[in-house]
Amino acid sequence: MNQYFLKKDCKELHAFPHIIEFAVKKNNTIQFGSLAKTAQDFFRVYYVIDGRFDWVIDQQHHIFYPGDLAFVLPGQQFGGERDLLDIGTVAWMHLGLQEFDSSGKLALGKWSRLTDSECRSIGQILVMNNCAALSKMKDAGALFQSIQQEFCNQEIGYASRINQLVEELFILIARQLTQQNTSRRDFPQTFMKLEQTLREKLSHQWTVEEMAALVGLGNTAFSEKVKSYTGFSPLNYLINIRISEAIKLLKRPDVHVTDIALDVGFYSSQHFATTFKKLTGYTPSEFRKKNTTPTE
Amino acid sequence: MDCIITIEIGTGSIRVAAFDLTGELLGSSKGSYPTFHSRPDYSEQDPEQIFITLLYMLKNFLNEKIYPKNHKVVSICFSSAMHSVLAINKNGVPIGNAIVWSDNRAKKEAGDLRASDIGKQLYQMTGTPIHAMSPLNKITWMKNNNRELFEAAHKFLSIKTYIIEQLTGEYVVDYSVASATGLLNIHTLQWEDLALERAGLKKSMLADAVPVFYAPKKLKRQYQTSLGLPENTKLLVGSSDGCMATLGAGVWGDEKATVTLEESGAVRVVGKKVLQDEQQGLFNYVLTEGCYVSGGPTNNAGSAFEWFATQFGDFKKVFDLEDCIDDLLSEASRVPAGSEGLIFLPYLQGERAPIWNANARGSYFGLNIKHEQRHFIRATIEGILFAFYNIGKTLERHRSFKSLSANGTYAAYPLWTQMIADMFNKPVSVKLNSGPDSVACGAFLVSATEMGLFDSLEQAAQKVKLLENFHPNGQHHETYMKLFAIFERLSTKLFDEFEAIAELQQHS
Repeated sequence: MNQYFLKKDCKELHAFPHIIEFAVKKNNTIQFGSLAKTAQDFFRVYYVIDGRFDWVIDQQHHIFYPGDLAFVLPGQQFGGERDLLDIGTVAWMHLGLQEFDSSGKLALGKWSRLTDSECRSIGQILVMNNCAALSKMKDAGALFQSIQQEFCNQEIGYASRINQLVEELFILIARQLTQQNTSRRDFPQTFMKLEQTLREKLSHQWTVEEMAALVGLGNTAFSEKVKSYTGFSPLNYLINIRISEAIKLLKRPDVHVTDIALDVGFYSSQHFATTFKKLTGYTPSEFRKKNTTPTE
Repeated sequence: MDCIITIEIGTGSIRVAAFDLTGELLGSSKGSYPTFHSRPDYSEQDPEQIFITLLYMLKNFLNEKIYPKNHKVVSICFSSAMHSVLAINKNGVPIGNAIVWSDNRAKKEAGDLRASDIGKQLYQMTGTPIHAMSPLNKITWMKNNNRELFEAAHKFLSIKTYIIEQLTGEYVVDYSVASATGLLNIHTLQWEDLALERAGLKKSMLADAVPVFYAPKKLKRQYQTSLGLPENTKLLVGSSDGCMATLGAGVWGDEKATVTLEESGAVRVVGKKVLQDEQQGLFNYVLTEGCYVSGGPTNNAGSAFEWFATQFGDFKKVFDLEDCIDDLLSEASRVPAGSEGLIFLPYLQGERAPIWNANARGSYFGLNIKHEQRHFIRATIEGILFAFYNIGKTLERHRSFKSLSANGTYAAYPLWTQMIADMFNKPVSVKLNSGPDSVACGAFLVSATEMGLFDSLEQAAQKVKLLENFHPNGQHHETYMKLFAIFERLSTKLFDEFEAIAELQQHS
């Protein structure tokens, strides 16, 4: 394969302000310092075509073989284990993100047609799985190859095509991540992991779509599965957790009712009070009063 | 029409069911909650989540299935899993989560006590095998290892006691659940001083022990409103899931035993005498005054088979365990009884009765070059059921029985039920598939007896309709007995090796 390299100032990239670098490199020589560990503020993705690569991502050492993919989130360190690029062939892309933070908030930018909630789900999957190495990613290899061809040929519509292929790469990574990290067999265990995530970020306004994405199922299949396993729809299950956590906080005299409502994910104290009373017959403040005085 | 509601507070879920006064099931519903394992030996549940799940379920159930049909709720009867402990402070507020039966943190406390003379005495008095499962040892653990919590604790409750207190304002525990704490003297039905002393408790720190027919104060006004239940709705404290399952399976008297096949399992009999097992291997829980449910529990029933299915089954559809299990069972049915000499020791989670060895581990034994994948499937089920037979054999040293009644999720699979019949060489009956589960049925019988619809629980138990008999196959029985002899020897002979491998696994 020929060497192929596009950098920020190449005119081929003018139509793509978000693509910082795109490369396919066949490396024949070992040069010290050729891949020093650095942290960058953009997203990096590497696909191994040939050879064996020893890389450190976010302080974790991984070995990559052909068909494997590595991605590096903005702010994470990445580089060769010995600060050099090993012998072999590798394709990569550096991509600027419009918005990204460690909580999983992600916006790709105007070029992308992914919806806000799709981006949010992908962002959450990227941060939550805490895993930078994906194996058996031949489909990603095909995407890299198509992107390279579009760049080479620049036929009509190539700009749109390339953006679509980059989007597709994100979707592929997100799907593979959930599949690799959740057993496709053990629903109880998978649900337990999800439930833990929900509890950790209870104030977030979870949608069914986001929850389903974390588990790696479609919305309908996910809702059915949760209903048959727990007896509740996903959103009702979430209300269950919210009210149980609220009860615990109400029984401690030191947290304000409004804060409790928001902390456990109700959008207002009004909404909290109505839901709470419907279920328990008590308003939150009546309930608190009853439970902060000694019994007997 | 008048109806009776039963509420089961199980290990992982609340099950609500409604019956008319003739015992016909009107509907049922389930809602689950998680078990947290913050450390390997820990199993905890959030009491508030259990309570909210119950309210939510019950409210929906009543609004969707009971009120639209103009049914009137006259009685609500509770049942619950055994061995749970929850500490509350002086305001009645839980301190942390509830510790459930499968929690093993108190294994050292249990081991020390079991080996001592006091342990032997306590087993005789309380009927509860000395094991990490029992609140006696769990509270002792708290006293020794979590002083802060122990000092702050005003009372120690079972999950059911907490739920009933939330609904009514009264702290009560029924004799059945109380007799599984290891703290109740089953002969006098009083909290046992020797046990209290061991756990560092005063009597006032436990709920009042009451008969299963006891009706606590009425539902708090707020819950009457939110649930739409009239003021005079009777609540019954009810019993434990184990006792209810036995009652609901129609087992009463000396002739019968029951086999419960859920995630974990048990073999039980009902009688007027306490079974004093010299190996301390059998439990004796109080159903009503002078009436005991005796037997032994196993850790590895459905859970061991689901482990196998999850690891080695063919999942054609993502997460479709049921479909996968159906395929496995049809494969297993093509293998002759005895799996051509392949034996499975099912002790994936250690074992309780009759070997009481937390270090026991699983193993396949007797593998030869001709064994195929399907032999593993059948051997896995046979191994799980050999453990049941092993409990049954221990029970029969004290009381013989002529037939069995099987209940629980896995009793619905004819392959399993037939194997039980063949191993025990006794007929096995099961209930209709469409009928209520045995725990709910038992709770209905308690309510119905309390209302005077039956003269006694004994009469009520005899009313349970059992159908579909499985008759033993003598040839299979012989094959199984030859294998069981090896199974039984392996289970004890491997003691040292179990200990060595458990030690190694703990540090890996």
